Amino acid sequence: MRYKSFISFLVYLAHAVLNSYAMLFFSNQKLFGALILIVSFFNPFTGIGGLSATIIAVIAAYGIGFSSDQVKTGFYTYSALLLGLGMGTFYELSMGYWLLLPLASLVAVLVSAALIAKLGKQNLPALSLSFILTFWLVILASKEFTAVGLTQRNIYWLNEMYATGGSKLIQLIQQIDSLDIPDAVAGFLRSLSAILFQSNIAAGILLVIGLLIYSRIALLLSILGYATAMIFISLMGAGGVGINYYNVGTNFMLVAIALGGFYIIPSTRSFLWAIITVPISYLLVLGLSKITYTWGLPVFSLPFCITVILFLYCLQLRKTPGKLVLTPVQYYSPEINLYTYINEKERWMNTVYHQLALPFMGEWMVSQGYDGDLTHKGDWAKALDFVILDNEMKTYRFPGNLPEHFYCYNKPVLAPADGTVVEIIDFIEDNEIGGNNTQQNWGNTIVIKHAEGLYTKLSHLKKHSFKVAKGAFVKKGEIIAHVGNSGRSPEPHLHFQVQANPYVGSKTISYPFAYFTVRDNSNILLNNFKIPKEGSFISNIIGNDQLQQAFNFQPGLLVKVNAKDFQEEEWEVFTSVYNETYFYCKQTKAAAYFKHNGNAFYFTHFMGEKDNLLFYFYEAAYKVLLSSENKINVKDNFPLSVYSLNAVKWLQDLLSPFYIFINMQFQSEVKKDSNTLTGNSISFTSKKLLNLFGKEKHLSTAHVKIENNRLHSFTVQTNNKTIAAICTV
Amino acid sequence: MQKLRYESPSIQKMNAGLMNKFGTRTEYEAVKQIDGVSVKSMIEKYGSPVFVISEKTIRRTYRNAVRAFTTRYPKVQFAWSYKTNYINAVCNIFHQEGSWGEVVSGFEYRKALGNGVPGDKIIFNGPEKTEAELILAINNDSLIHIDHFEELYQLIDLADTLNKKPRVAIRVNMDTGIYPMWDRFGFNYENGQAWQAMNKIVASGKLQLTGLHCHIGTFMLSTEAYAIAVRKLGDLAWNAKTQLNTLIKYLDMGGGLPSANNLRGAYMPAADMIPSIDEFAEAITGALLNIGFANSELPLLILESGRALIDDAGYLLGTVIANKRLSDGRKATIMDFGVNLLFTAFWYEHKMSPAQDFTHHTEDMVLYGPLCMNIDVVRSSINMPLLNRGDHVVVHKVGAYNMTQWMQFIQMRPNVVLIDEQGNTHLIREAETLEYIEQMEKMPAHLKTIEL
Repeated sequence: MRYKSFISFLVYLAHAVLNSYAMLFFSNQKLFGALILIVSFFNPFTGIGGLSATIIAVIAAYGIGFSSDQVKTGFYTYSALLLGLGMGTFYELSMGYWLLLPLASLVAVLVSAALIAKLGKQNLPALSLSFILTFWLVILASKEFTAVGLTQRNIYWLNEMYATGGSKLIQLIQQIDSLDIPDAVAGFLRSLSAILFQSNIAAGILLVIGLLIYSRIALLLSILGYATAMIFISLMGAGGVGINYYNVGTNFMLVAIALGGFYIIPSTRSFLWAIITVPISYLLVLGLSKITYTWGLPVFSLPFCITVILFLYCLQLRKTPGKLVLTPVQYYSPEINLYTYINEKERWMNTVYHQLALPFMGEWMVSQGYDGDLTHKGDWAKALDFVILDNEMKTYRFPGNLPEHFYCYNKPVLAPADGTVVEIIDFIEDNEIGGNNTQQNWGNTIVIKHAEGLYTKLSHLKKHSFKVAKGAFVKKGEIIAHVGNSGRSPEPHLHFQVQANPYVGSKTISYPFAYFTVRDNSNILLNNFKIPKEGSFISNIIGNDQLQQAFNFQPGLLVKVNAKDFQEEEWEVFTSVYNETYFYCKQTKAAAYFKHNGNAFYFTHFMGEKDNLLFYFYEAAYKVLLSSENKINVKDNFPLSVYSLNAVKWLQDLLSPFYIFINMQFQSEVKKDSNTLTGNSISFTSKKLLNLFGKEKHLSTAHVKIENNRLHSFTVQTNNKTIAAICTV
Repeated sequence: MQKLRYESPSIQKMNAGLMNKFGTRTEYEAVKQIDGVSVKSMIEKYGSPVFVISEKTIRRTYRNAVRAFTTRYPKVQFAWSYKTNYINAVCNIFHQEGSWGEVVSGFEYRKALGNGVPGDKIIFNGPEKTEAELILAINNDSLIHIDHFEELYQLIDLADTLNKKPRVAIRVNMDTGIYPMWDRFGFNYENGQAWQAMNKIVASGKLQLTGLHCHIGTFMLSTEAYAIAVRKLGDLAWNAKTQLNTLIKYLDMGGGLPSANNLRGAYMPAADMIPSIDEFAEAITGALLNIGFANSELPLLILESGRALIDDAGYLLGTVIANKRLSDGRKATIMDFGVNLLFTAFWYEHKMSPAQDFTHHTEDMVLYGPLCMNIDVVRSSINMPLLNRGDHVVVHKVGAYNMTQWMQFIQMRPNVVLIDEQGNTHLIREAETLEYIEQMEKMPAHLKTIEL
C-alpha cells in the first residue's frame, strides 16, 4: 500500500516537473517539457541544477499544502526551475551550492505563490518575477559565502562535456555548432537556447522542433521577435550594448510570444503589438541594466516581465475589447486559444448577455429596425417595431379601417425575460387608423427591470389590457398585456426597446435577442444573440420537453456506453471548481465540457484521446437546439484544435491569426419536426463537414436518439465505418 | 357590330320599385378564370363536369388559420381531417404546410401512412377501429382517441399482449349550448363518464393518457361554444393534473369551424353571420390560457379543422344540358352535375356563377342535376342570369366533403384538377371509367352468358 502510494507520488512528481519545464515556453505539454529537460542537459551542470531545483520545489510546494492540482501544472515551480538552471550555469557545484540551492528553490516557490495570489486578483500573470527576485537575492548574498563560488565553466563548457559525456555526442554537437549556417539563423537558434542559459545551435534546433510541434504560432512569433529586435538594433545603431543571446531570447522573443499570441488571442493586430513591444522591451533592457549593474546584477528577464504585465494591465482598462482580445480562458496553446475563441464567440455571449426572448407568439415581422427611417432616431434609435403580415404582405384584412382589422391588434404581449414591472401607463385610448397621438407619444407602456441597468420597454399597448401590475414579478413568456394602437401609432404595432434606465422615454441601448428563428422563404434559420433586421420574419423557439430533459445532465449522472469494437465506457458528469460541467470517461480519462442554457446544449471543449465513444458523442451532439420545431438547421464550427496534425493543418496554424481556410463545420437537424408533442422517441441527425478553401467535403453523419426523455443511442457513420453505441443512463 | 347573344325568353314578376338610374341589374359577375386559368380551357382539357382545386387558396387559408392561432397561443398543431378531402395531393399540401393527419378509419389511417405521415403524427379517431387497426396504431405510436368503454378495455388488453404503453386520449362530448348536442361520440362530461374513463385509463397503468379530445358539432356559428368546450376540457385536464397526477399534453378541439358557404334556410348571408377564424382563435386560446396551467405546462392545442381550410379552395365546373318550363311556369335548368357530385347541396345553397358574359336579365329557376332521380336538385330556387345549352357554370366553395362523399350513382365521378401556385394545372384524380367501376365485380359462371 505504502509502496503503491510512493509510486503514485513519483508519477505525480514527474508530471509536475515536466509541466514546469513546458511552462518555460507557455506550454502544458509534457512531451515538450521532456524535450526541454533533455536540452537543458546539453550543459550537464545547468541541467542538474534545474532538475534538482524543480524536484525540490515541487516537493516543497506539495508539502506546504498548495492545491495539488495547481502544483501539478508547474505553476508554482517553473521559477525555481529557472533559478536552478541559472545557478547550475553560474556556480560551482560545491557543498555550499547544494545547501543554497534547496533554500533558494524554497524561496522561489514562496515568492511565486505570493505573486500569483496577488497578481492573479488583477488577472495578471506572475511570469518569471519570482525567479528574478530570488536569483538577485542569491547573487547578492552568495558573495558573502566562501563555500559558494562563481564558475568559469560556462565559458569552457565543452571541456566539462568531455569530462562527463560521451565524445561522440560532443562531436555531433560541435559539428552542428560549426556548421556553415547564416549568422541570422545561428543567432536565432543560439538566442532560443539562451532561454535555458545556453548558446548552442544544437539546443536551438531541438527547441525549434519542440516549438514547432507545440505551437506553430509561437514559433512564428519567436522568429518575428528575433527579426524585429535585430532590425531595430541595427537601425538605432545601438552598437550592441545589452545585446546578448540571453536578452534576445528571453526579453525579445518571449515578449513577442506572450503578447503576440499567448495572453492575447493571435491576430494581425496582436502581431503588430508584438512588433511594437519588442523595442519597448529593448528600451527597458538598456535602461534597467544601467540601474541593476550598479549592484552588479544582470536584468535577467525583468524587461520581459514589466512589458508583458504593463500591457496586459493597460489592455484590461479598456471599456470594450474591440479586436484585440485578451485570452478569456487559457488553454496553454496559442492555436487552441485562437480556435476556441473563434468558435465560441457565440458561446461567450451567454455569459455576457441576458437571454431575452421575443415579446410575442408566432411569426411577426420587424417593420422598423434599429436606426429606422421613420421614428427610430437619435437617442431612441435602437428600437424595434413588430407587426403581423399575411401571405399577401398586408398587415390587415379587408377593409382595414379599424384597429380590429389589423392582425397584430389585441395579440398577447409577452415578458421577454424574468423581471419586475417597474412602470405601467394604462390610460391612453387607441388611435383611429391613421391617427397619431404625439402628446402621449409612447401610448400605454410597460417597463420591466431584468437586471441592474437592463430594462425593456413595450409600447403602444391596448388600454386596460394589462395582466400584471406595477411591482409584480413576471416570468419569461408570461402574457403581460395586449397590442393596441395608443400613442404615436398610426396603425397597430408593438414597439420594443432595451434601455439602461427605468423611465418611459429613456435612451435606447443596443441589445440582442438570445435565440430566435428567421424565415427566409421556406428556410428557417437559427439566430443566436443577434438583433433582428428590418423586414425579417421572426419567431421564438419553442422548446421540446423531451430534448430538454434528455440533455439536462446533472452532476453525478452516470452513462454507460457500449459499442461493438469499443470497450465499455462509463461517463460521469462532474462540476469543476469553475462551475463547468463535463463528462469524464473513467476508462479513457477523456473529458468533454458542456453547457445547457435552456435553449441549447453544446460542448465547449474536449480533452484527452480521440479514438473513443465520448469523442464521437462530442462530435455528434456538438450543438443541439432543444427544440424540434420546424426543422431548424443548426450550424456551428468545431474548434480546429481538436483535430489531428498534418501538413495542411500546420500551414493553417501558421496563417490562422490572419486567415482561416480550413473549416470543420457542424450541422444538425431534428428529424422529427413536431411542435412539442412527440412520441416516446425523438432523434436528430448531425453532420461533420470539412470546408477546405471553400470546397465542402462530407466527413461523417451521426444520429442521436432520445427515448423516454433519456439519451438512448447514437450512431456515427464515416466513409469507412459505422459505430453504433447504446447508452444506458 | 358584334352579333348579340341569344337568350331564351324569360318571365319576370312585375316589380314596381323606385326608379333608379342604374336600371335593373344583377349582382352576378362572370367567373371566367380561376387563379388565372380560364374555365373554358379547363373544361376543354379535362371535360365537364370537373372539380378544380386551388393550391394557392389552400395554402393561404391554412396559413391564415395557423397565424390566427400561433400568434395567440404558443403551442398549436393542426391535423388534417382526412374525411373532408382525402385526395392524396390535397392531403400532401396540408402535410407540407406542417399539418398532421386525423383519420377516422383504418382505410384513412393507411392512406395517411401511405402519404408519408409518421405514425406518431396520426390521430386515430372514430367509433370503429378493428383490432388489427388498433395494433397497427399502437405499434406506430399513434395517438388513439377512445370513443367508448369497449374500446378502452380492448386497448388495455392489447397493451398487455403487445407489452407497449399506447398514447391515448378520450373523446369527450358535452353541452356547450349547441343544438343538436353530439353526444353519440365519446364520453359525456356532465354525467361524469369522461372522468370515469380517465380514471380507468390512469388506474390501468397500461395506457398513457396523453390528451383530451372533443368535437362539439359542425359548421359552428358560435365562438362561445368553443370557449365553453375549452373550459370543460380544461377542467378535466386540471383534475387530471391535481388528482390523477397526470399532465395532459394536448387538448384536441376537433373541427367544426364553418366555411363561408350559405346554409340552407339561413336568414342572413354567410359573410354576415359567420365569425372569422380570428374570433374562434380568440375564444379558444383565451379560454385555454385561463385554465391555470403554467407556461411550461400549457397543453398543445390541436385543431382538426377540415371544412374551414379547404371549402374555399374547391370549385366545380359544369355545363348546361337543357332549359325547360315546369308545369307551374317556373324555369328549370338541367346541369351535367347533380347531388351525385355535390353532396353538400343537401345543406348548402351553393354560390353559382356563369362562366361567360350574360345580359342583365335574370330569372328565378330550379337547377337540376343529370340524375334520373327526383332528389337530384342542386338549387331549388335561384335567381340566375339566363343560361343556354352548352354554357358553363362555376360552383364555388365545394372543397370540403364533396370529393369524399360523392356517389358513383348513375354517373361516374369526373376528373379532379389542381391549379398549382404557378398557375399550372395537374390532374390529381382521373375520371372513372367503366373498367374501373367493374374491376371489383365478379361474375358467377352461370351468369356469364345472356341471350335476349
